[in-house]
Amino acid sequence: MRVDKGVSPQADFIAAWVWVGFGLAVVIAAWRMDRLESQGASLYTAPGLVPGILGAVLLLFGLLLALRAARAGGHRPRTVRRVADRHTRHVVMRVGAFLALGLVYAAGLVGRGGIPFWLATFVFVSVFILAFDWTRRRDAGQTAKGVLFAVAIGAGTAFVVSYVFQVVFLVRLP
Amino acid sequence: MFSGLIAFGHSIWNFVTPESLFYVFGSTLIGLVIGALPGLTATMGLALMTTLTLKMPSSQALLVLICTYVGAIYGGSRSAILLNIPGTPASAASCLDGYALARQGHAGRAMGIATSGSVLGTLIGMFFLALFTPLLGELALKFGAYEFFWLAVFGVVISGTLTGNDPLKGWMAGFLGLFVAAIGQEGIYAFDRFTFGNRDLAGGIALVPALVGAFGFAELLSVMKTHQAPVKINPFDSVIPKLVDVARHWKTILRSGCIGTFIGVVPGVGEDVAAWSSYAAAKRASKEPEMFGKGSIEGLMAAETGDNACVPGAVIPVLTLAIPGSAPAAVLMAAMLIHGVQPGPMIMVQSPQFVYDIVAMMLFATLGILFYGLTLTKLMVRVLQVPQTVMVPIILVLCTVGSFAIAGRLFDIWVMLGFGILGFILRQGNYPMAPLVLGIVLGDLLEKSLRRGLVLSDGSLAPFFTRPISLVIWVGIALIIALRFEAVRSLFRRLWPTRARAPFTAKE
Repeated sequence: MRVDKGVSPQADFIAAWVWVGFGLAVVIAAWRMDRLESQGASLYTAPGLVPGILGAVLLLFGLLLALRAARAGGHRPRTVRRVADRHTRHVVMRVGAFLALGLVYAAGLVGRGGIPFWLATFVFVSVFILAFDWTRRRDAGQTAKGVLFAVAIGAGTAFVVSYVFQVVFLVRLP
Repeated sequence: MFSGLIAFGHSIWNFVTPESLFYVFGSTLIGLVIGALPGLTATMGLALMTTLTLKMPSSQALLVLICTYVGAIYGGSRSAILLNIPGTPASAASCLDGYALARQGHAGRAMGIATSGSVLGTLIGMFFLALFTPLLGELALKFGAYEFFWLAVFGVVISGTLTGNDPLKGWMAGFLGLFVAAIGQEGIYAFDRFTFGNRDLAGGIALVPALVGAFGFAELLSVMKTHQAPVKINPFDSVIPKLVDVARHWKTILRSGCIGTFIGVVPGVGEDVAAWSSYAAAKRASKEPEMFGKGSIEGLMAAETGDNACVPGAVIPVLTLAIPGSAPAAVLMAAMLIHGVQPGPMIMVQSPQFVYDIVAMMLFATLGILFYGLTLTKLMVRVLQVPQTVMVPIILVLCTVGSFAIAGRLFDIWVMLGFGILGFILRQGNYPMAPLVLGIVLGDLLEKSLRRGLVLSDGSLAPFFTRPISLVIWVGIALIIALRFEAVRSLFRRLWPTRARAPFTAKE
């Protein structure tokens, strides 16, 4: 079978065991599921039948992936360790910061309720633009303009999204 | 034949109202912008538009969604040609020759070719949609639980095989999707599965929030991984399509239209595969294959015709079998269900006019892309220059609202976030998203069909393997899987030295 060249065999090997573990957990959970014999259910209509089969298939695929990755040397630790360079660190920080901001907004501010949607959106969009545009604006000597821009886009987004969804399309907002 | 034409004419007439035309041009423009912006895919655009159209009458809502779909697939060509970044995965093949033409100072001509290819591709697909839906609908009436079970498996397997770089990972993503569909109360005894006592989970994982997460939030995380350089756009000439480009490549257009439609019909295999397959076929048939990748008009025409022809093609199995032909078509199907339209084998019996309504919607969408293809180039250039730092938070806001609004459940926002993070992790491991989505859509069909089939046959597996249509489908599945193993392929090569060839993949 063709091996995926984009991911290292080591990463595939580790992922394969995660799949195997997941598949096994699903099979066990499906096996232990109530078979509802008291309600007249047969083996073919037992609630755990399909999840059990799917778990077994995922387990099998996980083993195949592990075997394939092992053949490509994935079971041996990497001889050359990748050193996290500045670029990689920068990427991790960008993604991490976005994830944190996104989770705070979607799960924290909006997902839990309690704070008006427009306010949460205004704060999130403004802070996001400020945070990710800050270095560029500071280097260009445009900090005040940057703040104004971020606040304007934040306010505009909060107003337009609230208005379009609630008033024009009559859709309920969080 | 004539009754079909009359029904089609009737459908067109129904949509010639100021309100409908406003929706056509408005939603095609929204689709175009969504398609052109890297980070916003057609699937996500459709999911968001499903939310916006919740309160509309079903025909208007579906008109908006189809115009958005067609517009988004076409819109991807703009960023492919001008920036060498595919706006949607469907436009990846267009980058090769589109951007090469732009660098030679022919960006306008390239956009004209994209417009003519997309318009003609949609028209060819539309023709097949009108022709084959009634025929396939009739065939689908012969399908029972056994056939539908295998069809669901086939969808996941073929989608996993063709949509990524690695079939095994595609299948894993597909079966994970099938498992996700099993979470919550099952259909026969309302028994809670994998809910851990959570009442929200008992309702199951809703498709739209999961899709918005896998295609929206995950895509945003991927976009944030790459730092956007300032956009520099090559100067361009006239965007009016040249008749000579169409006349000279009519064979390529026809071939790509047919390939695109066929790929669309195949469950879960979408516009990107259609574009690559049409591109590969055009290269094989070309008198100038060496020009491909260096600014070949034929190559760009093939890719653009193929991906847009795939759109009506992907709707054919939705209407006839309730099995989506692509990821955006899965959202379209979900939207149909939300609006009370039940796609599937009975549609030609219960509401045949609906099929012609969909064909008419495709026609209006085609007019929309033709109009904007000729007029809106400068606006699109401005849209492409919107900085990433502005676009990303606004899209996340839309993802959050879109997930919530379908059912008004805060839980769906968590589903969106969960699937976004899961989708991002899977993408890093090169697991394709389309099979995952198809798995979530087909999970219910697979489970019901298997359990119903087993009850009908009193536990015997024989009908699953011996009924004629079932036999054809499972043999097909077995062959697709077996041909991925080198040992089987070499056996085939030894048996048929000249003929045995592995099926194509998206990247070939």
